[in-house]
Amino acid sequence: MTATTDAPVRPRPSSAARAVPLTAARLLRIELRHSPMPWILPLIAALFWFDSYRPSISQPPIWVLRTFWNMGQGHTIVDFGPFVAGMAAWIGSRDGRRGTSDLVTATARPRWLAQLVTWAAAAIWAVGGYLVFVGVMFGVYAHQGLGGAPPWWWVPVGTAAVAAFSAAGFAAGVFFPSRFAAPLAAFGAFVVMMLSSQTGFTATSGWALILPTNSNGNYEAVSGVFYRYLPDLPIARVMFLAGIAVAVLGLLGLPSGAGGPGLRRAAAVVTLAGVAAAGTAIGLAGTAWRGPYGIVIPALHDAANDQPVRYTPVCGHAAGTPVCMNPAYRRYLPDVTAALRPLLAEMAGLPGAPARATQVPGTYTSSEGEANPVVTISGRPPVLRVPLDALATLPGYTGFTGAPETEALFADQLRALSVHAFVGAGNGTGAPAQQAVQAALLLRVGVPFAVQANVMDAGNGPGPPPPPTTGPVYAAARRLAALPPAARHAWLAAHLGALRSGHLTLAQLP
Amino acid sequence: MNVDITDLTRRFGRTEAVAGVNLRTGAGVFGLLGPNGAGKTSLLRMMATALPPTSGQLRLLGRDPGAYGPRREIRRRLGYLPQNLGYYPGFTVAEFVEYFALLKDMPPGQVPRAVAAAVEHVGLGDKARAKLRTLSGGMLRRAGIAQAIVNGPELLLLDEPTAGLDPEQRVSFRALLRDLGQRATVVVSTHLVEDVGAACTEVALMDAGKIVFHGTPDELTARGEGTGAAGDAPLERGYSAVLAAARSATAARS
Repeated sequence: MTATTDAPVRPRPSSAARAVPLTAARLLRIELRHSPMPWILPLIAALFWFDSYRPSISQPPIWVLRTFWNMGQGHTIVDFGPFVAGMAAWIGSRDGRRGTSDLVTATARPRWLAQLVTWAAAAIWAVGGYLVFVGVMFGVYAHQGLGGAPPWWWVPVGTAAVAAFSAAGFAAGVFFPSRFAAPLAAFGAFVVMMLSSQTGFTATSGWALILPTNSNGNYEAVSGVFYRYLPDLPIARVMFLAGIAVAVLGLLGLPSGAGGPGLRRAAAVVTLAGVAAAGTAIGLAGTAWRGPYGIVIPALHDAANDQPVRYTPVCGHAAGTPVCMNPAYRRYLPDVTAALRPLLAEMAGLPGAPARATQVPGTYTSSEGEANPVVTISGRPPVLRVPLDALATLPGYTGFTGAPETEALFADQLRALSVHAFVGAGNGTGAPAQQAVQAALLLRVGVPFAVQANVMDAGNGPGPPPPPTTGPVYAAARRLAALPPAARHAWLAAHLGALRSGHLTLAQLP
Repeated sequence: MNVDITDLTRRFGRTEAVAGVNLRTGAGVFGLLGPNGAGKTSLLRMMATALPPTSGQLRLLGRDPGAYGPRREIRRRLGYLPQNLGYYPGFTVAEFVEYFALLKDMPPGQVPRAVAAAVEHVGLGDKARAKLRTLSGGMLRRAGIAQAIVNGPELLLLDEPTAGLDPEQRVSFRALLRDLGQRATVVVSTHLVEDVGAACTEVALMDAGKIVFHGTPDELTARGEGTGAAGDAPLERGYSAVLAAARSATAARS
């Protein structure tokens, strides 16, 4: 023990570089086998069923409508986020809780890389669980024969959100390795979700659109039916969420014990890249505007996505008039023909009576993302154009209302809006004579006066609600409705032109 | 020299756990004795590169662990069993050992055979597939030793390795230590002086952060002869005599 001698250096095998991925793969296999993340999946499955799937089945069987609750409003993310963050924090705090810090610190493999493997195992379970749950839900929807197309773009958003929550929770566990890390991370994730949703209630534009549970403009009811789901906002959100995940994982590589100088520089670059991606996504969201078919981000927008989806309509007949609809709404064809049948029979032979009825997409232009349910009659020969997606109610059980009620409401509203268009009342209430003729025709096709006001008011009907069922308008309507059919038909044939131009007065009604 | 320590200190706040230790040793089994709080564990943690020194110089396997590259090379050649062995309860013995073999950057192709050999070495071959949570304290200790030796370390640091082992296991463990000491530097921190007498070629005794004795077990035994120091065995009497002398010298200085 008199002189210091250098010990012989054991050369690393030349295949060391190739061995690194293999080592990582074997570490990942062990971590996957022992990750506690799967323990939380049954709980999430129960929540997912109650919160994401079950409420959605009260929506009409159209993909865009049924998935708006769980994918568009981000309920699937809310169901996963807090639990995944909490469990990831538990996993991240493992070495601190188990007292293995010294043991793992004294190993050659850079701590950061080992942590990334541990996180990857947790994330694979969490993201895998998300994809399986969403896949099963979509499978059930497909089995139920939903119309339209699934919102595929929103699956990567949820996937990125789950990955981001797992990364954030894991980092919290690594930096604060105590048994309280898990509940605090879960609560923090829950608060973030609530703030995101709360902000989404009010922020209909700007940077806040990037928040994963801000539902404004995520979907329009025409998406996946008449137009594609616009990928602009999903792309920005994936950038944002992936950027957060990458930045947080990069942070783990910055402390002095995480690895060598080169690795820590790489971690700094990764962190900055993540921050840049998230920041860019926020900036992109700030340029977003609500187009007629969804949120448009100019830098990400592909004009090809504005083209309508080609489809072969499904058609039926109502009182001899063809009624054609988008195949996504195929199951509503009997309801539509049944609703229009007495009306088209009443209109038959009159000037401007529709030669055909067809479903058209609603126009979504307001800041709230609502479309006015405006039925029009135009063209030569005249075509009755019905935006079914804009109606307040489609026939069927809604979770609050039974099928018979919604079927009646649907039929009444469709008749009312069609008659409103037929008398030329446009977007307003119409002139008194137009109101009277409208009321009379509706009475003839089975919509009592007492119901008409409610029907016209439902779902942002055109103009303010009609006046009470008393007064000169309804007196004239009663007189017109009481005429024999042939006399009423003859009077309408003679006066419809004047009525539509607004030149007819109440006094001129029979 | 596989371990070359000069004026090494480590402070925790106002407490100086290791106070200017000098130590050099090569291949063989080196026993580190001392009462509770003497600074053995802190010294071992610094030698394991798990704890940076406050001051002083430390060279391990001819390299300076203060720089990242050499530190990583040291860690590839290092085996470490902490005093309080943390473990992952859900892992099996084999997985636990494999996990640390992979973290030690062993070539993946060599890992399965090395894991099997290490587990057999500590007598846990029949428990290789048992979950760690199902093992007794002694078995856990042996699993810890298996992870420490799996990479065939050139420097093996064992903090209280025989705690919890039954007499039969301790006898076989000492044989293992002697075997490992043929090729590597094995530093064993222990309270049990009979382990030192049976397995160590060198011994150091620490007290209050300082090394108060460094020599062979026979030299330590000789220090106790004729002193009337407490102890059932000659080595224990040497231990007690050295400690008593060191403490009286410290008291006289203060």
